[in-house]
Amino acid sequence: MDPLMLSRIQFGANISFHILFPAITIALGWVLLLFKLRYNATGDSAWMRAYFTWVKVFALSFAMGVVSGVTMSFQFGTNWPGYMETVGNIAGPLLAYEVLTAFFLEAAFLGIMLFGFRRVSNRIHTLATVLVAGGTTLSAFWIIALNSWMQTPVGFEMRDGVAHATDWWAIVFNPSMPYRLVHMLLASGLTVSFLIAGLSALRYLYGDRSESMWKALRTGVFTAAVLIPVQIFAGDQHGLNTLEHQPQKIAAMEANWNTGPNVPLILFALPDEAARENRFELTIPDGASLILRHSASGVVPGLNDYAGDHPPVFPVFWGFRIMVGVGVLMLVVSWSAAFFLRRRHSLPKPLALVMVPMALSGWLATLAGWYTTEIGRQPWLVTGVLKTADAVGPVAGSQVALSLAVYLILYALLLIAYLGVLVHLALKAAKDGDASPLPGVMNAALSQPAAK
Amino acid sequence: MTLPWPTLLPLIFAGLMGLAILIYVILDGFDLGIGILFAAAEDAEQDTMIAAIGPFWDANETWLVLAVGLLLVAFPLAHGTILTALYIPVFLLLVGLILRGVAFDFRAKVPAGRKHRWNRIFFLGSVIASLAQGYMLGIYVLGLDVGLGGIAFGALVALCLAAAYAAMGAAWVIYKTEGELQKKAVLWLRRALVLTALGMVAVSLATPLASPRIFDKWFVWPAMIYLSPLPILSAVLFLWLWRQTFHLPKADDRHALTPFLTLAAIFTLGFAGLAWSFYPFVVPDRLTIWQAASAPESLAIILAGTVVVLPIIIFYSFYAYRVFGGKATDLTYD
Ligand code: HDD
Ligand code: HEM
Ligand code: HEM
Repeated sequence: MDPLMLSRIQFGANISFHILFPAITIALGWVLLLFKLRYNATGDSAWMRAYFTWVKVFALSFAMGVVSGVTMSFQFGTNWPGYMETVGNIAGPLLAYEVLTAFFLEAAFLGIMLFGFRRVSNRIHTLATVLVAGGTTLSAFWIIALNSWMQTPVGFEMRDGVAHATDWWAIVFNPSMPYRLVHMLLASGLTVSFLIAGLSALRYLYGDRSESMWKALRTGVFTAAVLIPVQIFAGDQHGLNTLEHQPQKIAAMEANWNTGPNVPLILFALPDEAARENRFELTIPDGASLILRHSASGVVPGLNDYAGDHPPVFPVFWGFRIMVGVGVLMLVVSWSAAFFLRRRHSLPKPLALVMVPMALSGWLATLAGWYTTEIGRQPWLVTGVLKTADAVGPVAGSQVALSLAVYLILYALLLIAYLGVLVHLALKAAKDGDASPLPGVMNAALSQPAAK
Repeated sequence: MTLPWPTLLPLIFAGLMGLAILIYVILDGFDLGIGILFAAAEDAEQDTMIAAIGPFWDANETWLVLAVGLLLVAFPLAHGTILTALYIPVFLLLVGLILRGVAFDFRAKVPAGRKHRWNRIFFLGSVIASLAQGYMLGIYVLGLDVGLGGIAFGALVALCLAAAYAAMGAAWVIYKTEGELQKKAVLWLRRALVLTALGMVAVSLATPLASPRIFDKWFVWPAMIYLSPLPILSAVLFLWLWRQTFHLPKADDRHALTPFLTLAAIFTLGFAGLAWSFYPFVVPDRLTIWQAASAPESLAIILAGTVVVLPIIIFYSFYAYRVFGGKATDLTYD
């Protein structure tokens, strides 16, 4: 079989699996810090109860993130040697700084954060939580800087077919980097808010009315309600930035074939690349021109200007629609839940039932977003510098096929086990309610302050 | 005076990479070893053994990420060559690391009935990862030759490295536990030492025999004299440790850390020998560190960061080990 295609599928599968867990850990670290700080301020042990429930989810997600991340760092060498040979001078330092500044920080303080509650003072434990959360965010910073540079490369020159850095500041803060970073951090925040809200809704449905359930539920719902409008705004700005730097990607996202004014917004269509047209179109007149140019007569780029050099239209178009669709759904659900929690101090059962599957909505939107971004960059691996096909290694197709098959089976099983544990933890917390003992908090073992 | 940076930088990075690999092998060596020993331990002992490594394993594995990262960023050409040649063993290593890394967490969080399954997965993952590393070492020593003889030799080194890790694991259990388990660990250590010694001898003999260039580096006068402390010291430490296993554990738990430190010293000596054999090549007999290195500007900017950050990393790693110092107790989140 074709090693290029297999390597692409394998890379896509591995990174898709990987991102699921950073998407949780990046923001969950900060949520745990919030729980901790609320406890420090109020002495209310329900906050620590929420903390201990979610720190388990954090530990498990972190482990999944680490092992799949280690796989990622080997992938560059095993499957894409051409990548480092061409742009290694730029990708290398960014990856190295990620390891040096972020990974070690997270890894060293994770132990203290998870198991050190009774071994260090409360202040050091809070500090460890800050450092772990900061570490995950920092690693997002570096990796997004690299990924954005691959999308919109600047600050370098080519010598003998190899990229050499000329301006590190420009490389790190390349044109699409701020947008992508903000968008990703918000995506992580939303993923976690909906996960917390969804699992708390599950506890609620099982009859749990404990204080720690309410605290987690409110935190999840209100955070989501605040973040989602910000995300929609950030996403719009991100799109405008892409329009400026990667117009062919916007054309594919909108499935717009001809450049011109008064371009409609397509709600549904089946783009047909062979015929270069859309089938079964359902549109809003002038919509795309209005969104992208803020005027009905605004000119929107079309795919026919880039014949032979634009990304596959179908997956980019649909990836984008799924992401935006989930975003709109998130807005509706989180605002209704926030309304009921604030005004009625209760949660209607049907809404709770909707919130349970929405626990995974963040994952869906994040994956759809990344597929849009990454497939939208094809056929380039680094826009204008290196084609994906030129980076693939000399590994035999059969070997890649073998590794791919095993990874896929392994990931499927791990995902099932992971989701099973999440549900198990939620149900266990629902059963224990506020009754289970909290030795570290209640008995003030070692250096912990007593709960009032 | 201006320093010859283009010559110096690749050398520094080869040193850093070597250091990262060595630290990884020692630190994750005991984690993997404990995973291997899981097969010989009872349920309650398994919990104690996990408690002895739980807070550290992630940071330990990060040294592997750093080592591969340095190979990737400092020697991109070698990175591609080595990792594509070792595609399948690397893949197995990753599967092993995935299994053992997640099993750590799952075993503590699944419903009680499922715990056994994850204990077995933890064992399996540790064994696969150790064997894969040994196999990769064997193949690398022979100059990435994967003929039939190479595979057989790789398999031998794989077994011996797994035994060496088991020895490290046993030594760490001796340090972190007491009572029956500690006594058991002494026995484990003694058995594992036999295979470890065999492996080190096999690698030491095969390396010069496989490459005339390496043979000439070791068996020339007077270099032989300067190099002789490496094998002699290793042998002395081995024998001494072997004798110790008949006297451990001592009263008041004196010298509980000694076996671990001795093994670490032996590993370091062995590693120094390998480094001397292969210098100046990263891909044996094909690419030197200068041919494979990235551009000096890029190396310089990484070095600047490393010089600042590495001491800080080492400092807080020590701190983390101190927080969890002493005998292992149950790990709890609260
Ligand atoms: C936006 C976030 C994000 C993205 C796009 C990626 N990662 Fe990641 N990665 C993280 C955010 C993150 C994280 C949240 O920071 C993790 C999760 C757990 C951890 O230790 O850090 C992590 C872990 C993690 C680890 C393990 C670190 C450790 O041992 O502690 C490695 C080696 C990588 N990643 C490598 C990669 C590579 C090679 C990627 C892309 C090609 C990549 N990551 C994409
Ligand atoms: C984390 C979320 C990400 C997801 C879900 C994701 C997904 C994908 C997918 C689906 C492809 C395949 C595109 C195609 O071949 O048609 C791809 C390609 C690629 N991406 Fe990403 N990506 C992510 C982040 C990153 C980052 C951060 C980097 C670099 C640092 C990166 C580097 C690459 C490379 C090297 C390829 C080329 C291989 C290929 O085309 O399959 N990706 N990615
Ligand atoms: C409804 C509002 C949203 C809009 C308008 C929007 C818009 C965008 C745009 C334009 C891109 C960039 C494609 C590119 O140029 O590369 C993108 C990517 C992405 N989106 Fe969204 N998005 C929205 C909602 C969401 C939500 C709710 C999530 C997740 C919770 C999310 C997660 C992502 C991710 C992870 C990426 C890829 C990484 C990145 O480029 O930052 N998006 N989105």
